Amino acid sequence: MGHIRDIVIAGGGVAGWMSALALANARAGERVTLVETGGPDHSLGPFGPAEATLPEFAAFLIANGIDEDALMRAARGSFSLGGAFSGWAGEGVTWFLPHGETGAPIGPVAFHHLAARLRAGRREVRLADFSLAAVAAQSGRFARPSADRRSPLSALGYGLHLDRAGFAALLRDRALAAGVAAHPAPLRAVRLAGDGSIAAIETGPGEVAGDLFLDCTGPGALLIGGALGVGFDGWSQWLPCDRAIEWSNAAEGVPPPYAHSGAFDAGWRRMLPLARGQGEALVYSSAHLDDAAASAAFGGAAPVPVAFGRRASFWRRNCVAIGAAAALFDPLHGTALQLVHSALRRLIALFPHAADGPEGAEFDRIQLAEADRARDFLILHYKTNGRKGDPMWDAARAMAVPDPLQYKLDLYASRGRLPVYDEELFDRPEWIAVLDGQGVRQRRYDALADAIPEPALMQHFGRLREVILQAAKQLPGHGAALAAAGVRA
Amino acid sequence: MLVKRILIVGGGTAGWMTAAALAHKLGSTPVEIRLIESAEVGTVGVGEATVPHIRHYNATLGFDEAEFMARTQGTFKLGIEFVNWGRIGDSYIHPFGAFGGDIGGVPFHHQWLRMRQRGPVPDFEAFSLPVQAARRGRFRHPGTDPASPLNSYNYAYQFDAGLYARFLREYAEARGVQRKEGKVVDAALEGESGFVRSVTLENGEKLKADLFVDCSGFRGLLIEQALKTGYEEWTHWLPCDRAIALPCANEERIAPFTRATAQKSGWVWKIPLQHRCGNGHVYSSGFLSDEDALETLLGAIAAPPMAEPNRLRFVTGKRRRQWVGNVVAIGLSSGFLEPLESTSIHLIQLAIGRLLDLFPTQAWDPLDAEEFNRLMAFEYERVRDFIILHYHATQRDDSDFWNHCRTMRLPDSLEYKMALFRERGVVVNYRDGMFLEPSWLAVYLGQRVLPRHADPLAEKVAEDQVLAAMAAMTARNIAMADGFPTHEAALAELAAAAAA
Repeated sequence: MGHIRDIVIAGGGVAGWMSALALANARAGERVTLVETGGPDHSLGPFGPAEATLPEFAAFLIANGIDEDALMRAARGSFSLGGAFSGWAGEGVTWFLPHGETGAPIGPVAFHHLAARLRAGRREVRLADFSLAAVAAQSGRFARPSADRRSPLSALGYGLHLDRAGFAALLRDRALAAGVAAHPAPLRAVRLAGDGSIAAIETGPGEVAGDLFLDCTGPGALLIGGALGVGFDGWSQWLPCDRAIEWSNAAEGVPPPYAHSGAFDAGWRRMLPLARGQGEALVYSSAHLDDAAASAAFGGAAPVPVAFGRRASFWRRNCVAIGAAAALFDPLHGTALQLVHSALRRLIALFPHAADGPEGAEFDRIQLAEADRARDFLILHYKTNGRKGDPMWDAARAMAVPDPLQYKLDLYASRGRLPVYDEELFDRPEWIAVLDGQGVRQRRYDALADAIPEPALMQHFGRLREVILQAAKQLPGHGAALAAAGVRA
Repeated sequence: MLVKRILIVGGGTAGWMTAAALAHKLGSTPVEIRLIESAEVGTVGVGEATVPHIRHYNATLGFDEAEFMARTQGTFKLGIEFVNWGRIGDSYIHPFGAFGGDIGGVPFHHQWLRMRQRGPVPDFEAFSLPVQAARRGRFRHPGTDPASPLNSYNYAYQFDAGLYARFLREYAEARGVQRKEGKVVDAALEGESGFVRSVTLENGEKLKADLFVDCSGFRGLLIEQALKTGYEEWTHWLPCDRAIALPCANEERIAPFTRATAQKSGWVWKIPLQHRCGNGHVYSSGFLSDEDALETLLGAIAAPPMAEPNRLRFVTGKRRRQWVGNVVAIGLSSGFLEPLESTSIHLIQLAIGRLLDLFPTQAWDPLDAEEFNRLMAFEYERVRDFIILHYHATQRDDSDFWNHCRTMRLPDSLEYKMALFRERGVVVNYRDGMFLEPSWLAVYLGQRVLPRHADPLAEKVAEDQVLAAMAAMTARNIAMADGFPTHEAALAELAAAAAA
């Protein structure tokens, strides 16, 4: 196979247009064509109509010259300081996963060990009380973080909530301006070359030929699965939900600056506030909730069957799968979008000399591991749930989980230690926030915490709390922050 | 509850680094730390060159650099010069810092590779400020301004490991570590748990402890002789198994770097200290006799020897588990990798850090040991692969030794990394592991492993733009390096500070 001249992206949507834009900006003369196959945008999965980004997504915007405020205006964007999780640790129990930092260590002793020591003394400690993002979210305030490490505002992190259609439209405009050719046509068939690689996408009377193909066709994976026959490894033994319903909700007033994920007996419901309105999705198990009942109760839309899992390979011959064509994740957090970002960064860093070169194997080694570790993080939410008496959740607590996850759970339970493997999308603070929120407690804590006199420890916690409350008070309201970004009047 | 009594078996660099760090970190707890060592048992102490991580260790313990350097006869180290590795006559320096800067968002080495395929370009090392300084015998401390090239590198030290151990001993003893003179001859195991309960000294005295740190060197008094843990040999990849150490007087100038010169069946190190120059020959007894090895070493050193040759034997590899029951092996008792990349002290430091992170409590959860062993195995294997690369990436065919190394089968983990680099200049990166992309690039390119293709996306930047950026970088490095003080001046300044 020769040098790559034509890159062809199949399927539009957020994943397709993100890919088109990133490649157009990185390319060295290659042509980029996107075959827009139409239909609803399931390129990241059928969980709209809003998408959530993680703080790391800012790097994609910067690398591609997208002004965040402009994006927010185009996509009714709203800021997110994290997510509230209600009903997961038990009916009526809510905990918060903040973006940014939580607490502060004393010398070498990590904050969660300090908290464990106080708890051992029968004091109540809620980690989120020591996160500026969580406290600000609760009081409906928002500001972008400060770059000055001395400022308490430097502990903030944030993501965005974006209207999927508006987001895709902006990406499309930018990609077209960067020279991507759009080819609106149905995808009728995929024509293979003699060596089994993809030669062209047949679009009716014509076809679009290329050297490297990106499969952004969503869970159907028409290229990598359909044409190239790469198998699918399902995760249903760990992630019990298999249906999704998406709808919009015309919520009024200033949106809360955080996402809400509410568990119920047969699944969970996601609410992503936008500057105007709210994107909602219901994710549930059809074994525990009747489809008709679900549809009737939630907006009347038809449930879409979903299968969480991933392709056995994300890069086969001259085809790279991006987005839901590669892996479909339970839509907790902004996992799907962040993995698209990561896949594109990797594809550009490993851009092959010839499409069937050795780069694909390295791409797979990293991306498959990253997908599996992100999967483990999602499984964690089910495995550690506290909903006793609900059959779906009881089964989830009892299930055997993948070894790398079990090892993490064991080490954390033993001594509050969290091993982080090579390719992890979610880092220690996120893991600890979920474990702690779900009520998992470590049996031992860092013995050095015992060397700190209790009054000094109490003073440390008191001072942290004071600084956070003071800082939160001075933050503008979310409505004002959105107005400053030009998203709301 | 923490374990109460710690007994460190063996002094030397490993023993006293462990004692000092434990005393520092656990000083506020009721833990009791003892160290037993015997003046009769020699220490190896050839690991006189370090990597920059040692600065973190020193800083954590609160050492003043000037005092530390004065006490250990220390010199500054900007990297390692490798001579005769790719071919006889070749030389490159592996610095502690990156080469060049991104051009048009494309990693520098791809732009360099691309231009190299079109015509003559400056050597890769022209794009490293610390290499330019090292070549000039100059040194300056890195800066903290992220925008300055002074922020682009790091440095380490070369010092007398025996003096360092003495320095650490003072520190540790001042913080309550009890040193005991004696030779351990036996260890008593508890039947059920297999834990070591006590060790017996030559004079019959028994010393009890809860946690034993085995710093007894190659023998592994506790981890191997008492616990029979087993050893994973890597000699099929790293066939050197002997070394002769022989100090000599310094030359007129003191190089701010270590030198490793490849020989017919091994390599010779040269580590300049303030008061003398450490030399040694690491070789393979399967390919070279001990007499010839000494002759080679004598021929390679620049001045008359200052001591009798010190002969060492070793088996490259790693203890199967480095923490077993209540015994943690640190230093040579945990494994051996030749000092080609100055990793010995770093591996000691890592083990100490992990022991502190996973410090056991009286409940003795076996997960502590499991996690320690998992993390240390990673580090050993990744260092191992990087060292193997030096031997394998050669065009030398002037001896059976090099023919063996050049044609041997590699560990899969390394084979894969090299294949990717050869094809497309991709350096495989990991989250854990001490050698990062610039290190791999230095060795690959320094030893003539040249990719077939550069990143095709490098083409997006016009050639003249790349050439202009490259010319600016080399000119700036030269100008800056020329402005650095000489290494001798930098040392004198520090000595003045220590005396003040």
